[in-house]
Amino acid sequence: MRNAPYGFLLPPAVLFVLFFALPIGYAVWLSFRKVRVSGLGLGSGARTEVWAGLQNYTEALTGGELLHGALRVLGYGCIVVPVMLGLALLFALMLDTEKVRLASFTRLTIFLPYAVPGVVAALLWGFLYLPDVSPFSYLLGELHLPWPDLLDGGPLYLALSNIAVWGGTGFNMIVIYTALRAVPAEVYEAAKLDGCSPLQIALRIKIPMVAPSLVLTFFFSIIATLQVFNEPTTLKPLTNSVSTTWSPLMKVYQDAFGRGDIHAAAAEAVLVALATLVLSFGFLRAANRRSRQEGAR
Amino acid sequence: MPNTKRVRLVATSVAVALGAGALAGCGSSGGDSGTDSGPVSLTYWSWAPGMDKVVDLWNEGPGKKERITVTVKKQASGDTLVTKILTAHKAKKAPDLVQAEYQALPTLVSNDALADISKDVGDAKGRFAEGVWQQTTLGTDAVYAVPQDIGPMMFYYRADLFEKYGLEVPTTWDEFAQTARDLKKKDPDKALTTFSANDSGLFAGLAQQAGARWWTTSGDRWKVAVDDAATRKVATFWGGLVKEGAIDNQPMYTPAWNKALNTGKQIAWVSAVWAPGTLTTAAPDTQGKWAMAPLPQWSASENVTGSWGGSSTAVTTDSRHKAAAAKFAAWLNTDGTALNALAKESGIYPASTSAQLSGAFLNPPEYFANQADFYTRAAEIAKTTAPSAWGPNVNVAYTSFKDAFGAAAKNRSDFVAALNTVQEDTVADMEKQGFEVVR
Amino acid sequence: MNALAARTNTTPGTAQGPPPRRRTALVPTVTLLLGALYCLLPVAWVVIAATKSGRELFSTFTFLPGSGFADNLRDLNTYRDGVYWRWMGNSALYAGLGALLSTAVSACGGYALAVYRFRGRETVFNILLAGVLMPPVILAVPQYLLLAEADLTDSYVSVLLPLVLSPYGVYLSRIYAAAAVPADVVEAGRMDGAGEWRIFTRVALPMMVPGLVTVFLFQFVAVWNNFLLPYIMLSDDEKFPITLGLYTLLEQGANTPALYTLVITGAFLAVVPLIALFLVVQRFWSLDLLSGAVKS
Repeated sequence: MRNAPYGFLLPPAVLFVLFFALPIGYAVWLSFRKVRVSGLGLGSGARTEVWAGLQNYTEALTGGELLHGALRVLGYGCIVVPVMLGLALLFALMLDTEKVRLASFTRLTIFLPYAVPGVVAALLWGFLYLPDVSPFSYLLGELHLPWPDLLDGGPLYLALSNIAVWGGTGFNMIVIYTALRAVPAEVYEAAKLDGCSPLQIALRIKIPMVAPSLVLTFFFSIIATLQVFNEPTTLKPLTNSVSTTWSPLMKVYQDAFGRGDIHAAAAEAVLVALATLVLSFGFLRAANRRSRQEGAR
Repeated sequence: MPNTKRVRLVATSVAVALGAGALAGCGSSGGDSGTDSGPVSLTYWSWAPGMDKVVDLWNEGPGKKERITVTVKKQASGDTLVTKILTAHKAKKAPDLVQAEYQALPTLVSNDALADISKDVGDAKGRFAEGVWQQTTLGTDAVYAVPQDIGPMMFYYRADLFEKYGLEVPTTWDEFAQTARDLKKKDPDKALTTFSANDSGLFAGLAQQAGARWWTTSGDRWKVAVDDAATRKVATFWGGLVKEGAIDNQPMYTPAWNKALNTGKQIAWVSAVWAPGTLTTAAPDTQGKWAMAPLPQWSASENVTGSWGGSSTAVTTDSRHKAAAAKFAAWLNTDGTALNALAKESGIYPASTSAQLSGAFLNPPEYFANQADFYTRAAEIAKTTAPSAWGPNVNVAYTSFKDAFGAAAKNRSDFVAALNTVQEDTVADMEKQGFEVVR
Repeated sequence: MNALAARTNTTPGTAQGPPPRRRTALVPTVTLLLGALYCLLPVAWVVIAATKSGRELFSTFTFLPGSGFADNLRDLNTYRDGVYWRWMGNSALYAGLGALLSTAVSACGGYALAVYRFRGRETVFNILLAGVLMPPVILAVPQYLLLAEADLTDSYVSVLLPLVLSPYGVYLSRIYAAAAVPADVVEAGRMDGAGEWRIFTRVALPMMVPGLVTVFLFQFVAVWNNFLLPYIMLSDDEKFPITLGLYTLLEQGANTPALYTLVITGAFLAVVPLIALFLVVQRFWSLDLLSGAVKS
């Protein structure tokens, strides 16, 4: 029994070392190196990999693009995370209500966007956002109302957030809903006998019971926000307002796959990971401390 | 070529390696010698649709005789394919043959991914226009690829709407600007065309037409002139049109752009020889209403065009059968049967000059059925293609262009300032890599 | 899995008990319907667009159904001798097998972290979680190079293996195991003389089923929609998953316009198996396994 937990942890540990730790280590190693070209750089032997020290890091930090991207992403995250998780919690609680109709239909429908592949997402949103083809713009036009330019300035953040909320609410809803299903029915029966209303049950019993799942969804939403890539990449072909380095991860991708500078990209990725570490684990720690305090009471 | 000689003198390691590469190409080094006599099996990364059918012709014909079998592994085109090739090359697992756009060749060569096949492509050189072939040699004695297709640029316009609005087909860029203004005056809801920053190849082609030479070598140094006088002229021109509102500033290839072409909201498109295919999808309702003309010129006495798109077939250094692969690459892009099949199955416009007027190109594309001499004119225009000058980090310049010009188009701000940004980014990247750069 | 399913079926769903009155809860139902409408509208576009011919796609009103669905289906079916179905099969294999393995690994890890108290538990947990901090974008290239060392690139394994461990799945499993497997049940098992593995498979796993099907569902969809890893790993398009296959239809070079109608129809059809999976999986959420197991 003493060794049992280690036995259970062996498969994830082995996989972690092979497919996370090693590649991460390799990426970190790459971040401290760079390519050195001699002469015209043509032919074999013209490129050598050399030690770069912190050069890639200082360039990433002083370049400005990464920091600007981080600021944009923080603004975006301030919209997405509360709205998405708020809706997810709301829907999950509603699904868990007695006598709710069409529950399995709505559950499926709200989850469905998560299943739409990114390959068609750009087309899809192009058809819904661009004023010349959008049915909503057409309807507003019939009502003689103007259609805002969704792909510029402040509305751009709403347009991006909308894609994220649309795609991610169902996912988080299922996480919370599954946790709600694990709460034994007896708990509610007792509360009902005490005369609690459904709203009171939701607020006083259900939400505290699923707190660990809420922490989980929050934790991963912070990470997903800081690593946001799909939503702006989806809108990029449609507008001049989203640059190829709009978010930090787009910059990483652009450097790795567009410019072919894996070393700079690795350094930026490490910085993104560190920022994510501070924010997400900081949150986790704060959440744990709070729950422990409450537990002590 | 004095330049190459100096490179070899300066960097001895490079010289040895280049020599070794050439020898490997002859089949006298490494695993090449013994295997060429036995059956050889090659893999080929290509994004062209129907390429497998073209390759079948080889496998059942000349390939059978030579006992060289080629297998196509279909890929998606785009900049990321270059990264994929380079990643595979890092692991020594690149395929024998790759399809590569011309502007990607220096990047690939610079990473030592492409083999010199000058000894194995025979008389292929004579089949191509000088300016096209030169892109595969990078100005050296080596040959890194065989040209496959090209994209000479042309001017496409709605013939019916030009007539309706009483517009003349512009032959110079000044006339082009005037046409745009005239149209705006006659119908403010319409635009002649748009300036789109989401495909850098278009702007590169326009600059090429104006005489720009973005990357050149002098000695063992690169000279980067993305902001040369010719390119500045082009940037000023388009920036001016966007600023005064004579043309639109929204990107191409969006659903809204398709609709604008389909409904006649935009009535012209500066594009290349492959435009009929795109128009078929984008503007299906206007088939037969379009016409093609040569690109407007910078001065009435000139007759020159740029190129947008086009690709080549290259042999990688990871291939263990370089000579066999080069043989196939030469056949694919010079043999009449192969080129006909490429035109039919893959819809390419061949780089080989003799193929441009044969077989598949006797009749105009379906979308341009009204313009019987479409391909005759195309071939004439192709002859006037200005030489291009690509460097080892075109991808960096292209990315920088998209961002800088995208923002400038959106804000209707100074295009020359945006051009300076592209130049700075490109030079900074090269210097970071250790290239010696002359500005 | 069979024994497990049989066991769960014998425990009757006592979920919320029979409701005393058959009146619809209006507010929750309307809220959910509004949410469903919001989510469905863009998906409806995919469905409608799949019915449009290439000619209609860009020229007719966005939400007006077209007349080309049968043609699109036929074109997709005949495209390169039906390679689309091969991609679909590949995706099913990657996602199905990958999610199954992933769920098993997550269950082991999550259970161990939830049930046992041992030295370094939180450290192990935090290190596993930290695996998600490094953006996957940057890991694809090192993963390729490492698998190339083992000569495993361009194989089914190269796409399957890197996705088996999901820190998200382990975290989720831990939370669900902590909530669903009471310590006294494990203790009771030990009293009966059952081994740790036996307690896990016979007692704990059935209790974790609702959580595990959620893990399976998420991991299935995640692998199904994964793009970058197979893009880097695979060169042979016979091994491509659906996302990558459709991408090659969009990016065929300048000479050939993107095959939008095929891509949209293909994407639409690719959502159907996911819906079917969801419908199967959601049955397991409505079993009140916890109370059933405690009683038995």
